[in-house]
Formats: sequence, structure tokens, C-alpha cells
Amino acid sequence: MADAPKPLLHVEHLCKEFPVESGLIASHMKNARKVHAVNDVSFDIMPGETFGLVGESGCGKSTTGRCIMRLTEPTSGLVEFEGKDVGKMNKRELKALRRDMQFIFQDPYASLNPRMTIGEIISEPLIIHNVMPNADERIAFVRELLDVVGLNPEHINRYPHEFSGGQRQRVGIARAFALRPKLIICDEPVSALDVSIQAQVLNLLTDLQKEYGTAYLFIAHDLSVVQHISDRVAVMYLGSMMEYSDWRSLYAEPCHPYTQSLLSAVPIPDPDVQHSRKRIILKGDPPSPIEPPSGCLFHTRCPIAQARCSSETPQLREIAPGHFCSCHFAEPNPIKDASIEL
Amino acid sequence: MFGFGRKKKQATDWVDLKTQPVPEGHHLLEVNDLKMYFHTQDGVVKAVNGVSYTLDRGETLGVVGESGSGKSVTSLTIMGLIDMPPGKIEGGDVLYRGRSLVKMTEEEMEHIRGNDIAMIFQDPMTSLNPVYTIGRQLSEGMILHRGYSKQQALQRSIELLQMVGIPNAEQRVKDYPHEFSGGMRQRVMIAMALACDPDILIADEPTTALDVTIQAQIIELMQKMQEENGNAIIMITHDLGVVADIADKIMVMYAGQPVEFGTAEEIFYEPIHPYTWGLNRSIPDPVIDEKRPLTPIKGNPPSLVNAPAGCAFSPRCPYATDLCRTEQPPTYVTETGHYSRCHYAHDASFVSANAPETSRTKTMLDHAADAVAAAQEGGEA
Repeated sequence: MADAPKPLLHVEHLCKEFPVESGLIASHMKNARKVHAVNDVSFDIMPGETFGLVGESGCGKSTTGRCIMRLTEPTSGLVEFEGKDVGKMNKRELKALRRDMQFIFQDPYASLNPRMTIGEIISEPLIIHNVMPNADERIAFVRELLDVVGLNPEHINRYPHEFSGGQRQRVGIARAFALRPKLIICDEPVSALDVSIQAQVLNLLTDLQKEYGTAYLFIAHDLSVVQHISDRVAVMYLGSMMEYSDWRSLYAEPCHPYTQSLLSAVPIPDPDVQHSRKRIILKGDPPSPIEPPSGCLFHTRCPIAQARCSSETPQLREIAPGHFCSCHFAEPNPIKDASIEL
Repeated sequence: MFGFGRKKKQATDWVDLKTQPVPEGHHLLEVNDLKMYFHTQDGVVKAVNGVSYTLDRGETLGVVGESGSGKSVTSLTIMGLIDMPPGKIEGGDVLYRGRSLVKMTEEEMEHIRGNDIAMIFQDPMTSLNPVYTIGRQLSEGMILHRGYSKQQALQRSIELLQMVGIPNAEQRVKDYPHEFSGGMRQRVMIAMALACDPDILIADEPTTALDVTIQAQIIELMQKMQEENGNAIIMITHDLGVVADIADKIMVMYAGQPVEFGTAEEIFYEPIHPYTWGLNRSIPDPVIDEKRPLTPIKGNPPSLVNAPAGCAFSPRCPYATDLCRTEQPPTYVTETGHYSRCHYAHDASFVSANAPETSRTKTMLDHAADAVAAAQEGGEA
């Protein structure tokens, strides 16, 4: 394994539980109820690649991203960035880590301080990490950065409220790129934007990656966006990873029934294709993460569930080179009869 | 019909419009050049500026556009739900079974709303009242429009909940909205909208707040209900995939104006407006062989207060000419009723040179290439 490329980020058995009852005594009771937000998640991100994380709301994809950066303390598990254990880092080490690992938030309205000009917002990381002590040099750099992300450098002294949603997201991207990090965690960076603006921001992220070789952990619920931007894609359900693989084999031959039904539920903007293809409509809602189902987490909604699925938890296993799936019956397109009624 | 001051009498004598035949030469719903402006401190916001379409029973109209394009305001205007002032209808008309909704009094509109035309809103949490049980909220319309007793209405509510697929309806009818999940709440909204068997169901982004698997359930339910009741649907959404799934006709809106209107076939396979093309090129292609780079539309949507002088799309349009920047484009209508507001929509060579590739043109090109190859082979042989 000596010549295998080293991952930039290594996540192993990451778990995060939130107590349901608040208060010191209630949360320390032995049988206190907990939300299992992230449940034994493991993956690697290579330098310069885009790793997509998809799933429905409440599946733990954002919590995973926050745990990696220790914006939320994980309950257990290992996170390694360039071989260093992030969980054991003290405050000073964490600060240094965040020079290499930045975050882009979903809501471009809530993630920019309304009292700071965009020049101040973008130069803040430079000041915190004391990268550019010279103020003139810093301003010149910020102007250049504004130009790179497609904003007018003349607007450096404007406030966030003077910009539209798409422009604000560009400010957030400029701030994340100011320190030239090695990894950026993008938490739903385009879901608050209109389609035409969404395409602009996706293209910008792709261009910046080409230029600086930054790796992305791209968290989103929109499967077609994730397909477009990612090299590898992981699908999460109820805090666990169901399947992950390179984007092509995941989208062409999903091996987990959940992935297959998720893909079939996305309406395709082409009436001929949309009307002719088979669709799987899952019954019911996802179960509560407070009391997750026994065995396979998906068995309560799975059209091909067997008795074994409710008792035995399937492990994530490699079913084809680089293609991992946690289903007892993993095979390409496992749901054969794709006309399941409501 | 009756004099003033006889509201009570009028209420009992009201004849449901949905039981009346559609007058000769009219459609179920006709919107003609509707204009809704808001008079604000910053100036006049032209939120809806000349919207026209027709709709018949059993049809589904998809209204697509970005945020602020006036898609929701159009339907709120039809329902008479815009506060006036600041809103003001500056022109145009809405005819429902030949009767003008714009000219109706508030009392008359109360008969229409919920009974003839019902609406589903985007956020099922804020559009259900948290302090009333689901059953009481479902009953309200039936007691008002149908004259049901509380008991009858509750019975019918249970049937409706069963119809939209809520298990254990007898019990759930007594629950409050917070006891339901997002998808369940949207089912309740649909049940409520369908309670009085409306002619037209307006759905304003009904699935935007939901996950894809739940979205698929809700769309399936709306289609099933339409098949059973024969009602028309106006589906307002920003998701072209949803529109491709259910719409018969599509109106594309931009900056308060319908820039293109046509059948789903026409909008997806023969679009003639550059904004429709731009939308098409902005969405990631669901391909599995090769990723195609996205071609976004440059710039941002214009302000509705200081709209550009010429075509509203001209500042972002890659094909804009001086004509586009100075003059409002006329509405170009084809024989099939497909219309577009573009100076160059009538120019077939402009359209064919710039319209995006679709799955149909691709197959046609493949066939043509095959035919050419076959001909060459034949020639060589």
C-alpha cells in the first residue's frame, strides 16, 4: 500500500448522536432517547476530487460535513486530515486546520454578516490567519478575488444586502477560497438559487477547482446537480451510508434499492423520457431517526425486503471495484418490477 | 342580479358556476392580457404584465419561471387574493366559464374560492392552522359551500383523507397539523382543496418543500385525483422536471411577462424563445456517458420597477440586437397557438441555428446520419 495515493481526508466510523431530552440528568440517563444523526459513516476524499453526498432532508449529510470540521463535535469515530487526527486537535491546531479546510454555507442571506462590507468579509480569513499583514496588499488581493468569482471589484465597499442571492453566494465562495484551502465543504451551496443562477455558481466552482486543485465535499439533495459536479457520490439514508461509487456506475447501475428508487423519483425535464420510463414510488415517510428500524434501515420502505432484512444489518461491502453498497441483495438495479403502486 | 343590501338572499340563491355549461366560444378559464401592478414607495412594480392563456377541464397548465417572475402573483390575482391597494389590476380580464372574476364582488368571489377554484400552497406548515384539528379545517369549506352539517362534513373529511392515502383516517382526522409529516400535510392540503370538487386546482410549488421520493408520491396523487375528477390543474413550479412530468401546456414567465406559451411538446422540443433555451441549457443533463458543461444565462433578473426599455430579457440574452434593447417585442403566435415574445421568433433560421439540442433532434440527427451512411454504403456497393 506504500505507493497508493494518500487520501486528503479520511473518515472512519463517524457517529453523531443528539440527545432528545435536554437537561443534565435526562441526557445522562442510560436509556435516554437519542437522535442517531450520523451512524457509522466511513469514506475518503482524494486531493482535488469532488465527493458528492446526497440524501433526503434529515439523513445526516449536513451533520457529517459539520462533524468533519468540528463545527459539531462528533460522538465517536475518526476524522483524519492529511494523516492528522482532527478529533484530537486543540484550539490552535484547529485554527491551523481551518486554513486548509473551509466551508460554504447553504443560505447566502444568513451566512454573511450584514454589518460588514464584502471587502471586510472576504479579508477576514486573511486577517485571522495573518496571511497578508499589509492592508494595501490585502485589498488588492480581495479585488482580484472578486474578479475571479465574477463580481465587480469596484463593489468592494458594498454591503451584502446590495447583492442578489447568486452574487452573495459568490461572496461566500470568494471568502472560502481566500486562503487557498485544500478542501472545501460545500453544504447545499446552490439549493437556494434559481436554475439560471445555479448553473453560474456550479460552473464557477468547477473552474476554481481546475485552477487551484481544491477538493470538494459537495453536500446536496439535488441528484442531478450532484451528478454534474461529483467524481464520486455517496447516498445517505437515516444517518447511514447506503451506497457509494464513482458517479457513472452509481447513476447507471445503482445497486441499492434506495438509490434506485431515489433516482427514479427525480423527474427528468424531457417529456418523452419522463413518460416512458418506469418509476418506483416509495410508500410512506422515512422512519424517525430516534427509533431507527432494526436490521437494514431501509427495510420498512423497501419493495424487495425479505425477512432477513429486518433482523440482520447489512454491512457496506465492495460489490465491484470501488463500488460499495450496504444491501443483502445488492446487484445492478435490484428492483426488477418497477411499477409499485402508491 | 339582485339589488344591494340583499347579501343573505344572494347567498342562498347562488348557483354554483361549476354546474353551468361553459358558454359557446369560451374556455373553462381564459386569462386575457392580465396586468397586476403594485404601487409602492419605490415606484410601480409590474409584477404581472400581460399574461394570457386558456385552460379546459382535464388539462394541466405548467407555469415555470424563476423567483420574482410573477408566477404566483398571477394565480393570486385570479383568486382575488391580492390586497388592493397596494395592488391594482391595470388591465386585462379573467373569465371563468364566461364570467369575469375580476369584476365580481367579494361576496361572489367567496363562492368561487374553494368551491370552483381551489389552491394548494407551497408550505404546508404555514398554510394549515396549527390550533384547529385537521378535521375541522377540512370541514370548513364543505359547511360553507355545500351546507353540510358538522357531522356530514366530518364523515366526508374521513373519506377525503382515505382518498389521499392517509392511513387510519378515522383517528387522524382528530389530530393537529404538527402531528403530521411534511408529505402528509401536503396530502391534507390536497384533500382540503379537493373537498368541494373544484373545477380548477391551482398548485403553487406544491412539492418544492418536499423530498424527491415524497414529491413523486404527491405528483402521482394529483394525477390520480385529476383522472377521477376531471378537474384542471395549474401547476406553478420552477422545476422543469415536474412540468415535463405532468403538464399539457406550459407558460414560461420572465419578469412578469409570459415569454413563451405552448403545449409541453412545443416548449420542450420546439422552443422559440431564447430564455426557454437558456433555462434548458442551465439544467444538468441526466446523462451517464459524458458530462456536458452547463451554459448559464448571464447576469441577474431585472428589477420589476425599472424594467429595461426594450425586451425584458435583452440584457441577458446572448442574441440581443439594438432592436431588442429599444423596442418591446410583439407577441408572435403560430397556427397552433404557440406564442413567444421575441423579435426573432418568426425567423425559422434564427431559431434552428440557436435552439438547444433535444432528445428528439438528437435521434433525428442520428437517423439522418444513419441514412447518409446507408446511402453511401449503397453507393459504394
